[in-house]
Amino acid sequence: MSKLKLNLGPQHPSTHGVLRLILELEGEKIISCEPDIGYLHRGMEKMAEKLSYIQYLPLVDRIDYLAGFFYSELLCRTVEKALGVELSKRVKAIRVMLLELNRIASHLLWIGAFLMDLGAVSPFFYAFRERELILKYFEKITGQRMMNNYFVFGGVRRDIFSLEDVENIINILPDKVKDYEALITENPIFVRRTKGKGVLDKETAFNFGITGVNLRASGVNLDFRVKDYLYEGIDFNPVVIDGADSWSRYKARVLEIKESINIIKQALKVLESEKELEQKLVNPLNLTLPEGEYIQEIEAPRGLASIYIKSTGEKSPYRLKWRTGSYYSVNLLRKILKGAYLNDAIAISGSLDIILPEVDK
Amino acid sequence: MFRKIGYLLLSMFVVFKHLFKRPVTLEYPEKKITPPENFRGKPVVENCKGCGVCLRVCPSGAIKIDRENNCFKIDLKKCIFCGNCTFYCPHGAIKMSKGYELALSDRENLILNYPIGGADERN
Repeated sequence: MSKLKLNLGPQHPSTHGVLRLILELEGEKIISCEPDIGYLHRGMEKMAEKLSYIQYLPLVDRIDYLAGFFYSELLCRTVEKALGVELSKRVKAIRVMLLELNRIASHLLWIGAFLMDLGAVSPFFYAFRERELILKYFEKITGQRMMNNYFVFGGVRRDIFSLEDVENIINILPDKVKDYEALITENPIFVRRTKGKGVLDKETAFNFGITGVNLRASGVNLDFRVKDYLYEGIDFNPVVIDGADSWSRYKARVLEIKESINIIKQALKVLESEKELEQKLVNPLNLTLPEGEYIQEIEAPRGLASIYIKSTGEKSPYRLKWRTGSYYSVNLLRKILKGAYLNDAIAISGSLDIILPEVDK
Repeated sequence: MFRKIGYLLLSMFVVFKHLFKRPVTLEYPEKKITPPENFRGKPVVENCKGCGVCLRVCPSGAIKIDRENNCFKIDLKKCIFCGNCTFYCPHGAIKMSKGYELALSDRENLILNYPIGGADERN
């Protein structure tokens, strides 16, 4: 049979940004896949070398526009740890609450977009409706819906308010998640298109550096929140599912939304007991990090995110490097799409939750 | 088999439930959203002392201070509405208003000019 080269993307509507997959087909079977990235490259790492830390902070939200809080938290955390700034309990609880809300928003969008890839339209609107509640709350406290820029070195910009909105969200969400599950989880078409497709076994996952939900859906209990200093005193069980296929990655994300609600409830309790906002903001104007190398990590919605800064004691870092989860998931497509059918290509790549701004940086 | 039919009926029920709900969207040009109190919209400057802290925290270089004409300029084409200048201004001179409709027919009008009033005490 003759081979056919097919370009999937970069302008394909279900590639979540601009990803080009160069597929080699034999009939309808994919025999090789070559991801071509870089269409969304903005030079995030190079930009840091010219800007001061405070100038770089607002740009960090744009690395992953669906989960901006995680990246500003990383940069803030690096500076705080380097300068030895301690966070008060209330600031920690505020950060945990916002991070988890952000994670829910990100997963909700993923559910909508993934089902849209498979051809189901209604879950997209339902998921976006609930995501809107969270974004409205973000807008209320931070001023913008996605580019929040709310965390600053040493704390947060302003004290948090209208916690009843958060309570409203976490009261509504479980019912809505039940609705999604009624619509999606055992839908025969959905099950046929995802069960047993895109199987990612443990060994491959480790070899390709996969982290986050994708890894936990393959039965590996690895959640970086467990050792995170922000999550101290918070009780939660990392979602671990055996199954390793697209369906279990979907299921893991749904369960993770529920787990995040659980974490938010505990953070709200801390916020109720700690009423005073105590924080020592770092003066950003002459901020320099002491000479040395710094590395910090956090569990972002799309896997482990980490930052590496090499400082020579100047106003801007000598070198700054981001590690993002999606970058590794894109690389995985080489392996996981081999042998799959063309109509499953979108379903499998969608299930890995790839966000291209995060890949290209 | 029956289980599958049951699930299809259940999902149909969910969809029908949504038929009787009010729309969540807004007909934009006719009806407008009122942004919340802290909304980061078009920047407005009042009583600027010209100290220049905002210049040093602005990530995109949108702010220029013209000392000769005593003029404070914000280029909305460059501004990314991060709110750094608002947060770090020692005099509270820059505020971000609720204005979000910023499309204009002339790009020159996107550069906002504000007078610098009062001397900076630190100079």
